[in-house]
Amino acid sequence: MQKTIATLTAMTLLAAPGLSTAETLAEANVKLIEAYDEVKVSTIPDGIYLRSVNDPDDIIWERLPEYRVNMLPAPGVHESVELRVNYDAEETFLYMTLAKTSERFYVRLRWVDETRNTATAFDRFRDGAAVQFSLGDDETSYIMGDGPDSAVNIWYWRSDSNSVQNLAAGGPGSTTMLDEQPVTGDSMYAENDGDPNEWTVVMSRPIAADGEHTASLDRDIVPMAFAVWQGAEQQRDGLKSVSDGWILLDMTSD
Amino acid sequence: MAVKRQLSMVMDLNKCIGCHTCTSACKLQWTNRNGREYMYWNNVETMPGTGYPKNYADMGGGFDADGALKMGTEPSAEDYGVPWDYNYEEALMTGTDPWLRPNVKPTWGANWDEDEGEGEYPNSYYFYLPRLCNHCENPACLAACSRNAIYKRQEDGIVLIDQERCRGYRYCVSACPYKKVYFNEEISKSEKCIFCYPRIEKGLPTACAKQCVGRIRWIGYRDDEDGPIHTLVDKYKVALPLHPEMGTKPNVFYVPPLSPPKIDANGGATAESRVPLDYLESLFGDGVSAALDTITAERAKKADGGESELMDTLIGYRHAEMFKLS
Repeated sequence: MQKTIATLTAMTLLAAPGLSTAETLAEANVKLIEAYDEVKVSTIPDGIYLRSVNDPDDIIWERLPEYRVNMLPAPGVHESVELRVNYDAEETFLYMTLAKTSERFYVRLRWVDETRNTATAFDRFRDGAAVQFSLGDDETSYIMGDGPDSAVNIWYWRSDSNSVQNLAAGGPGSTTMLDEQPVTGDSMYAENDGDPNEWTVVMSRPIAADGEHTASLDRDIVPMAFAVWQGAEQQRDGLKSVSDGWILLDMTSD
Repeated sequence: MAVKRQLSMVMDLNKCIGCHTCTSACKLQWTNRNGREYMYWNNVETMPGTGYPKNYADMGGGFDADGALKMGTEPSAEDYGVPWDYNYEEALMTGTDPWLRPNVKPTWGANWDEDEGEGEYPNSYYFYLPRLCNHCENPACLAACSRNAIYKRQEDGIVLIDQERCRGYRYCVSACPYKKVYFNEEISKSEKCIFCYPRIEKGLPTACAKQCVGRIRWIGYRDDEDGPIHTLVDKYKVALPLHPEMGTKPNVFYVPPLSPPKIDANGGATAESRVPLDYLESLFGDGVSAALDTITAERAKKADGGESELMDTLIGYRHAEMFKLS
């Protein structure tokens, strides 16, 4: 949908000084969020529309605060992961913007990835990213949950089909596709001249959603965690980088 | 992994004529469609040779001496060989192309090195080695799967991939030292030989065994003391697993090939066999020499008009005796 001058003006009012999105990640000076920090989810006033529902390059994202989390190799929870994991990997960051309208919740992720890997073939692995929500509170294990009564809801974006899967897990190895698939997404890969290349992915879902294992977003605090897979490094499954612990989304409106 | 019963297969390499009927039977039954076109759940390799996929035995996997999973790699499309087809319609039917040509430049494929073998005349040699999933007692694919998507059936020990649980991580592909798990790119899941379990459940042998022209294959339960598997593997110890050093304890066994003597410079026979013993031992382990001695002795007995239970079993007079599925 086309933006009007009125909506653009409204969006400039949303801008948080000092927290606006940088042009590329190399230039970014973005607030670091640590485990169990609370992060306010930005509210996009009704009447402001993205060009398309998950447009990763929409001007709206420049008007909303962006944060970053430190990404670490996930702890190996299986022999196949332990055989391959590189705990000495260089420190990386995932940049995120969190937003909601009265009806929909959005997460926009950016991360450095020098190679665009979009094939799932014999010996080739795709890039990917996921966000994870605790169905309960932050006592649930951020490493894929811990048991059927302490499960997590995962949105997994895969680069080969540029689609998002709505999944649930109750511990490592239990990831299961849910019947309900309310999450959508879109992506953009930028080859930056002189700066590192980067993925930008937007995933979103109606705040109201059905399903036993679909996380409620209609609560004040929602524990959230992040994961990124680098296809060039043959990452899949638990072979990934993850944020440390939960960050706590403050879903209350201003 | 303990199961109640274990189905096993024995193949007598002395009888394999390399006709690939087993491979064709398997392909027609299971792998000529739906992203499996490149797969050979069963194939026949010329040994010595690179095998399929190319140099699979050097790709790692299996277990080390302490029982820990060893790192392996996933073969590339080129290692398997990219399947090609021909423009039959244009070249032969409509005449719109004067040349019959492949749609992909063939550079490699299963059996690319067929009948090459090793050695110089008159001491050149090769033999055929049919291969399928070994439905191992200690399957590396199962151990490698982080999702418990691979299981071994209690009633017959057949190793299967639960297609509902598989998410295509391919740890199983790299972990199998025999490279008998395949990744289906169309569905992003791994697939493998299912030991024709729908046939087995109806009391029928696998397609590869039933169709075998040389009647080289026996199928039965390992614990059936009256059955051919027990006779060949446990009683006479003439059937041996491939690459036992990989630590997976295969349930497919091979009767190693006897060979004529090596010829010396004067054209005379030597005491050495044409297929070097150390080469056979590199494939089938320490039991080769004893197995070959036993077969030689029993064969002589039978040739002299005597009785030999082993030879009668290996001849395979009747399918009913070769396939004991209950």
